[in-house]
Amino acid sequence: MQPTHPLKKHLAVSGGVILTLCIIFFILYGTLRDRFMNPGRYAVGALPSAEMQFFFISISIIIVIVLIGYIAYLLLTAKTRAELWVYRETEHLVYSRDQFQRLYDEAPVPYITLGENGEIREPNKATLRFFNAVPEDLIGKNLFTLEPEYEIPRANQLFEYYKRNIPINREEIRIITKKGTIKWVSLSVFTTKNAENSKKRTGIATLFDITEQKQLDQAKTEFVSLASHQLRSPSVTIKWGTTMLLSGDIGELTPKQNDYVHRIHTANEDMIDLVDTLLNVSRIEIGSLAIDRKPTNARELSEGIINELMPQIIQKNIRIDAQYNNYLENINSDPKLLRIIIQNLVSNAVKYTPDGGTVTITFSESERDKHVTVTDTGYGIPKEQQDKIFTKLFRADNVRKLTNSQGTGLGLYLTKSIAESLGGGISFISEENHGTSFTLTL
Amino acid sequence: MTEQKTPKKVLIIDDNESLRTILGDKLIASGFETLGATDGEDGLKQALELHPDIILLDVLMPKMNGWEMLEKLRQDAWGKSANVIMLTSLESTENIAHAMEKGSYQYFLKTDCDLNEVVNQIKTKYS
Repeated sequence: MQPTHPLKKHLAVSGGVILTLCIIFFILYGTLRDRFMNPGRYAVGALPSAEMQFFFISISIIIVIVLIGYIAYLLLTAKTRAELWVYRETEHLVYSRDQFQRLYDEAPVPYITLGENGEIREPNKATLRFFNAVPEDLIGKNLFTLEPEYEIPRANQLFEYYKRNIPINREEIRIITKKGTIKWVSLSVFTTKNAENSKKRTGIATLFDITEQKQLDQAKTEFVSLASHQLRSPSVTIKWGTTMLLSGDIGELTPKQNDYVHRIHTANEDMIDLVDTLLNVSRIEIGSLAIDRKPTNARELSEGIINELMPQIIQKNIRIDAQYNNYLENINSDPKLLRIIIQNLVSNAVKYTPDGGTVTITFSESERDKHVTVTDTGYGIPKEQQDKIFTKLFRADNVRKLTNSQGTGLGLYLTKSIAESLGGGISFISEENHGTSFTLTL
Repeated sequence: MTEQKTPKKVLIIDDNESLRTILGDKLIASGFETLGATDGEDGLKQALELHPDIILLDVLMPKMNGWEMLEKLRQDAWGKSANVIMLTSLESTENIAHAMEKGSYQYFLKTDCDLNEVVNQIKTKYS
């Protein structure tokens, strides 16, 4: 309902007061005039003198001026101004509410107002389009029961969050439409107090349709996975073939032949590493990275990795300082995944440390966590690029310029993703031209 | 005169001919006798006829895949106790569990294993 403008009210009151005062004035004036014009009707001495008349008229004028001043004052008084402010704000509020309602109704993103028990109260037009439904199909239904059967545990978990007032922020879940189509959505729900009853809650849910994005991601990941598998098979043939040649089982090679086969073998190993990295990246992105926890000896993993890297370590005359301190020799982790992390950190340290530098591997434990720290005396990461270091395909400018450095920009992205999948994390400190220290927390 | 030990017969079932040849040569060099099959159907036929001591079995193959072949093999009186080693590039816990369920005693991942490692393990276990 539109509010009444406060000035109208005050003008009406003021008009009334002025009218009353005018009537009083004219009655008074009439009486005086009557006495003046008909002096015989009144006793001698009852007639007002000229001074008296002047006095009466002056008093009347003063009263009128005071009254007009008072009315003006009333109009400008704090109360009036406050009322004016309330009026203006109420008008803005009504305008904003109308605007919000219009936005809510016409927005391209599905918005749903939810009741305290997750029931749909007010779906906007985009919601109806999304579900291919009319309001009656949805109103009253619990939003958290519109998921396919295999999403029920997840939907129940989200409903539990909603009931406990925990914000639901961009959770990906599948929902069934009226036609039975399953769509992927990014669901966000926030709760507010109910306008009518402050003890009750109202939820506003947004469903962002990510079906197409999911399909694209799936297609991309399947392509990478398939391509990687197809690349792996011939790599295995090359690897086993070169192994046979190098072992001498099918005849001795000349030193030159041996050198060539060795180069093929090494290049093939690099390709297998790259394909494995791509496979792991696609697994992480599709969410199918399997974790197989078992008693793991991180020291053995680290020693194996150092052995593998020994040719480069010797070639670059790098000093390896391993401080295992008997920690992490029996931890519950996935040895294959942990190996990928340590391998990436140590090989990066060796790769990006100039000849004659030092790489230190330290194992440590705190009350709650276990740490693997790999520190080098290498090129370091430029300060302005440090926030991008875990981004996929990122390579720092200073190492990109190194002629002998090869890298995919996937290693640290993979390392961080795997560390997080294992329930841990990774952090670093770095100074350009002084070195970098990465710490894996498990 | 010392008695000549009969070499163990290994049937390699894999559609990748190069891999079959290399693995075969390595096994021969390690004292085994080898047979080869390009798919599950041919492999099953040879296995049931020739009763090899060890069967090295790939999974993804034309005509009949490794799982089907293993299932059919286990239905045979001889085949139910034959030594089968899966040798594949399919690496997932489900695949390994599936292999164990179907009665394969070992599961080698081609991509993870070195050729020498595969042959040494076969030697240690079955020579």
